[in-house]
Amino acid sequence: MNDDIHTPADAPKPVLRLKSQKFREARQSDWRALSAQLDKVEKRGLGSFSIDELLNLPLLYRSAMSSLSMAQSISLDRNMITYLQALCVRAYVYVYGPQTRLKDVLYSFFVLAWPRAVRRLGGEIALAFATLVAGAIAGWLMCAHDSTWYNVFLPGEQGSRGLDSSAEELRKTIGGNPENHALSPFAVFLMTHNVGVAISTFAFGAVFGLPTFALTLYTGITLGAMVWLFAQQGLGFEFAAWLTIHGTTELFALVIAAGCGFHIARRLMFPGDATRKVALREAGTLTGTAMIGVAIMLTVAGCLEGIGRQMITDPFVRIGIGAVMLAVWGLYYTSVGRRKPGEGA
Amino acid sequence: MAKPGKRDLASDAPYGEIGRSATEVLTPEGVVLPFINATFGERVGALLLDWLIMILAPVIVLIIWLILPLEHVFDNGKNKALGSFVLIVAMFFLFFLRSGYFILFEMGARAATPGKRVMKLRVISHDGGRLTPAAVFTRNALREVELYLPVTLIFAWSANHSVGSWLAFLWALALLLLPLFNKQHARLGDFLAGTRVVHMPKASLSYDLADLEGDRNLGLSFTPDQLAYGEMELTVLEQVLRERKPAVMKAVAARIKARINWVDPKNDPPGDETFLRAYYGALRAHLEAKMLLGRRRKDKHDAPV
Repeated sequence: MNDDIHTPADAPKPVLRLKSQKFREARQSDWRALSAQLDKVEKRGLGSFSIDELLNLPLLYRSAMSSLSMAQSISLDRNMITYLQALCVRAYVYVYGPQTRLKDVLYSFFVLAWPRAVRRLGGEIALAFATLVAGAIAGWLMCAHDSTWYNVFLPGEQGSRGLDSSAEELRKTIGGNPENHALSPFAVFLMTHNVGVAISTFAFGAVFGLPTFALTLYTGITLGAMVWLFAQQGLGFEFAAWLTIHGTTELFALVIAAGCGFHIARRLMFPGDATRKVALREAGTLTGTAMIGVAIMLTVAGCLEGIGRQMITDPFVRIGIGAVMLAVWGLYYTSVGRRKPGEGA
Repeated sequence: MAKPGKRDLASDAPYGEIGRSATEVLTPEGVVLPFINATFGERVGALLLDWLIMILAPVIVLIIWLILPLEHVFDNGKNKALGSFVLIVAMFFLFFLRSGYFILFEMGARAATPGKRVMKLRVISHDGGRLTPAAVFTRNALREVELYLPVTLIFAWSANHSVGSWLAFLWALALLLLPLFNKQHARLGDFLAGTRVVHMPKASLSYDLADLEGDRNLGLSFTPDQLAYGEMELTVLEQVLRERKPAVMKAVAARIKARINWVDPKNDPPGDETFLRAYYGALRAHLEAKMLLGRRRKDKHDAPV
C-alpha cells in the first residue's frame, strides 16, 4: 500500500499521481491526434490525406495499440480503456481495411478469382447443366406427346405465342425491331429480371438445393416447350437463332448460379472433414465470387438480348454471335488464371 | 446479476458494457481487440430503417416526378428517346433498391447501410480480416431465402389459408430468429459469408476521476482494510461518479460508509460526491498497485489482495 495516501499532508511532498495517470498524460495527445485523423477518414476519405499524414497514420495506430495493451495491465480507469478500445477498433478497420488499388482489385477478380471459382464449381455446374438439359428434353417430349402441356408450362403465353398461333404470328415474335432505340428499356428490364432470378436460384441452395433444382428444371422445361412450339410450325431454326444470340450467355450464367446453389447445398449437407460452420463459410466465399461473375454475364446477356437481337435479324449472324460468346466464356473459364506448374497452391 | 464465480474481470468486459458479448480479434500486433456483437434488437432496428428507406425512396421520387411540370414534354409521343431513357433510369433505380442497396452500401468504406450507420453497426469479417466483395454479395443474396421468399409465400398462400402458408411462416420465423440462438447474433447469410455485424460505439475520453492530491489536502484517507472492494465495484463506482445523480450518489455513499465503518470527521464532513471521489481514488490506487504485482481482485467476493 502506498503510504502517501493515508499520512496527513503536513510535509511538502511531490504531487501525488497514479502510474496510470502519468501513463495517460504522456500518451493522450497521440490518441486525440489519431481520433482526429479517423474523423477525417470517415468524412473525406483517405484521398484527402497529405503524404506526411499518411505516413504518420500507422505510427499513431501502433502507438494506440500499444497503449491499449499496456493500459489493460496497469490501469483500472474504465473510461480510458473503453476509449482506447473504441479508438483501436475504429483505426483497425481502416488500417487493415480494403485498401487495394482499383487496378489490383480488377486484376485479382477478373484474372484470378472469378475463373478459378467457376473451375472449382465444375462438378456442380455440370449437374446444373444436366438438370437444365433434362428439363428441356422433358418439356419437348411432354408437349409432343400432349400439346395441352404447353399451356400448363407457359400459362401466360396464350396470346402471340400460344398453341393456336399461326406460323406468321410466331415469326413476328422472333423478328427484329431495328427502329427501336439502341438502349432499349426492354434490355434493362430483362437484365434486372434475370439477375433477380439468378440470385434466387443461388440463395435457394441454402434450402438443401431443392428449390434450385426445381427452378433449373422448370427453366429447362419452358425452354423445351417453346422450342417444340416453334419447331412444329417449321420455325425451329429461326427460333434457335433468336435464342442463341443471348441464350448461350444467359443460360450459361443461370447454370453457374444453379451450380453455386448446389455447391452450398452440398457443403451444408456433407461438410466433409471441415466443421459445418467452416464448410459453409468456404462455400459462401467461393460461390459469392462466382455469383458476382454471374451478374456480369447477365448484364452482357441483357445487352445482347435488348440491343443485339433487335438490330440483327439474320439467323446465321445471330447463331454466329451466340457461338462466339459461348466460345469466349468457355475459353475464359478453362484457361484464364491457371496456376503455372510449380507456383504452389 | 451473474453469480460471483462466473463473473470475469471487469476489465475483460468489452467497453465496460457488462453483459454484452464480443467477437475477439487478434490483430497482427498481437493485441486482442474486442468487437462488440450487435444485439438482435439493433439488427432488427437497422433492417426496419433500411426497409423504410427502400419503401419511401421510390414514393418520394414519384411525388417529385408528379409535381414537376413535365406533362407536355411527353405529349403525343414527343421525345421518345428521353422517355425511354427516363424509363431505364427508373428501372435501374428500382433494381438497385431491390437487389443492390445492401450490397453496394456494405461494399463501401463504412461497410454499413444507412440503417446500420444510424444504429452504429458495421459488417466485419469474422476473423477481422478483409471484408471481400464476394462475402458481402453472399450475405445479402441470402436475404432472398431468409426474408423475401418466405414473405412472398406467406402473402401468396394466406389468401387460401393453406398448410403451405403456415410452413412458409414457420420457415421465415426460424430463419428470422436464428440470430437469437448464437452468441454473435449471426444470421444464415453471415454464416455463409463468414461475416459478423458489430456495434462500433464512438467513445470519448473523459477526465480522470482520481485526484489523489486534492483528496490528501482534504484529509480524506482510508486504511487498507477499508478498501474492501474489487474491480467490479470500482467500475460501478466510476459509472456512478460520471453520471453524477445526487440520489444515487447518496445511496452508494451510505452503503460504502456502512460497510467500511466510516466515521465522518467532526468538523466539515465531506459531501457524498467528495467522499465517493476520494474513496474511488484510494481504491483505484490500491488495486492498481497490486495489479502491477500481478494480483487482481475481481470483486468484493474475491479474496483481498
